[in-house]
Amino acid sequence: MEKGYRAVTVADIVRRAGIARNTFYENFSSKEDCFLAASEFAVKEALRRVVDAASKVDTWPARVNSGLSAFLHYVASEPALARTCIVEALSAGPAAVERYERSIQAFVPLFRMGRKVSPHGEELPGTLEETIIGGIFWIIYQRIIMGQTEQIEELLPELVEFSLTPYLGAEAAKRAAAEQPSAATG
Amino acid sequence: MLETEARTAAASERAQLIEALIEVAAERGYMDTSIEMVIARAGLDRPAFDRHFRGKYDGFLSAWQEMNEECMASLMRAYDSEQHWPDRLRAVACEVVGSLCNEPSRACFAVEVLAAGDAARARRDMTMRVIASLIDAGRKEMEDPESVPHTTAEALAGSAYGQVYAKVVRGDTDELPKLIPQLMSAAVMPYLGVEAALEELDRGSNPPDRYRRPVAAIPADTPVENGEEYPPELARLPPGRHGLPREFVAHNQRERLIAGLAEAIAENGYSGTTIAHITRHAAVSRRTFYEHFASKDECFVAAYDTVMAELRERVGRAFEEEEDWPHAVKAGIGAMLHFLAAEPNLARLCMVEALVAGPVVVERYDSAIQSFVPYFQTGREGRSPEVLARLSPTTEEALVGGMMSLISRRIIAGKTDELESLLPDLVEFTLTPYLGSGEAAKVAREG
Repeated sequence: MEKGYRAVTVADIVRRAGIARNTFYENFSSKEDCFLAASEFAVKEALRRVVDAASKVDTWPARVNSGLSAFLHYVASEPALARTCIVEALSAGPAAVERYERSIQAFVPLFRMGRKVSPHGEELPGTLEETIIGGIFWIIYQRIIMGQTEQIEELLPELVEFSLTPYLGAEAAKRAAAEQPSAATG
Repeated sequence: MLETEARTAAASERAQLIEALIEVAAERGYMDTSIEMVIARAGLDRPAFDRHFRGKYDGFLSAWQEMNEECMASLMRAYDSEQHWPDRLRAVACEVVGSLCNEPSRACFAVEVLAAGDAARARRDMTMRVIASLIDAGRKEMEDPESVPHTTAEALAGSAYGQVYAKVVRGDTDELPKLIPQLMSAAVMPYLGVEAALEELDRGSNPPDRYRRPVAAIPADTPVENGEEYPPELARLPPGRHGLPREFVAHNQRERLIAGLAEAIAENGYSGTTIAHITRHAAVSRRTFYEHFASKDECFVAAYDTVMAELRERVGRAFEEEEDWPHAVKAGIGAMLHFLAAEPNLARLCMVEALVAGPVVVERYDSAIQSFVPYFQTGREGRSPEVLARLSPTTEEALVGGMMSLISRRIIAGKTDELESLLPDLVEFTLTPYLGSGEAAKVAREG
């Protein structure tokens, strides 16, 4: 996906994968289909890692911290895949948008738990979680675009603070963000 | 006169082509749009298209560039229509939603052009940085403005974009107004706290008091009113069209890199500019870049300082050459406008991109404003007590700030070549507090 979604042809993909055109069509019906499969795989894998990291700690703020840490680590280690899922998703049309929204939805429950610890709970805006996750995706997108993939993990404290503030207030969010995430990210 | 007519004709031809391109692309998508369809829709011929664009992709990018600039100008107008920060942001949100609902073909076109490549995205990202800076202004409302990370505003802007984009792609534009309270609430929360955020939810999608959407609906085939038309050849800054002044071209590598950065930024916006862009324009190696600068930001700061030093030098020289203060002010402003109009790339770099490039440069921008203050302060000498009583300690700063804002607005609107026509207004505006309006107008209008 170095060329951007629209410029990539099935010929490019089979050349890179070192497979025959036939083999491509045995597995995918089209370029779109292949693109969707790639992002589906990436979202599943990211979610698996996030859940894994979050389940190792007890409190909700620590879960967000560990989960995000695992997520950023994954993104930084797979920049091409991240580009496919985030950069292209915001530009590649209806099917991709569908995927983009589903990826956001996949992470909503992790943040929604914060409503239980917030004094405002369900009063908070209904799309707050989507806003937080979309914001994190956007920041990552910007770093990828600027070629700063290796700095993505440094964003952790700011993004944790950003995610926790609506639920815990600025002070508590800042404190929680300053802690080291406890799950090892390898 | 003939020349003016020819220019107007060219401008309207270009506007017709862009309008047609937007319509066709909105209906058929990027891939299936051909130049033939566009010229047929515009009722023009192929040579007409070739006079304005270097092919289909260039046509798309030019239309997109104009759309972004119009959008930015209208967002700024909305933002300025209100006085207080959350209302200003709300006005911007209403403006975005209003224009997407009223101009569906433009929204569809945006979706199409974004899928067409990185250059289009870079342009959008520049607009997004401006929107982020409008959100980031929320920190000024706080006791400790530095307590919120700078990525917060960027994240909020990006996330708002994602949600709006998804609705537009799905054709659910009628649901956009529902996003306003949600997005406003999320944007206000980090700066004003949860109570203020909940208030924003309660306000629903209502526009703030002062903001009025100036035009309810613009039918797609009506050209935008005259005052808002962009000079055709300036909306886009093709590489090579704007020569850099000799001082910036190229004897040493550092200057070449700075000039390269200015060109790359004119093409891609600050956020869309990569080190590869800079080194390509500068025709030096990546290694050379890193011998001079640690990062893009550092290069930008150096470029900014260089341009401002040059600008200050020219203003200073022009100011010194005049005998009396009012004419010295006029000469100084004239020199500033002349430099900026002659160097659109540098003008954009120091007056527009500097504001969105991050805190380091914003600080420098402030100190640049300060450096022009003394020229105006001289005007206090020998004034009557009544006049002095009217002036506040911050009058000069406000005058420079107001002037800068007028100038940068023109640059954002792609009207850099018309900057010099601002001279009489700016002179009158800045001299009036000292001389009174009659005398100020007289100096301003002198040949």
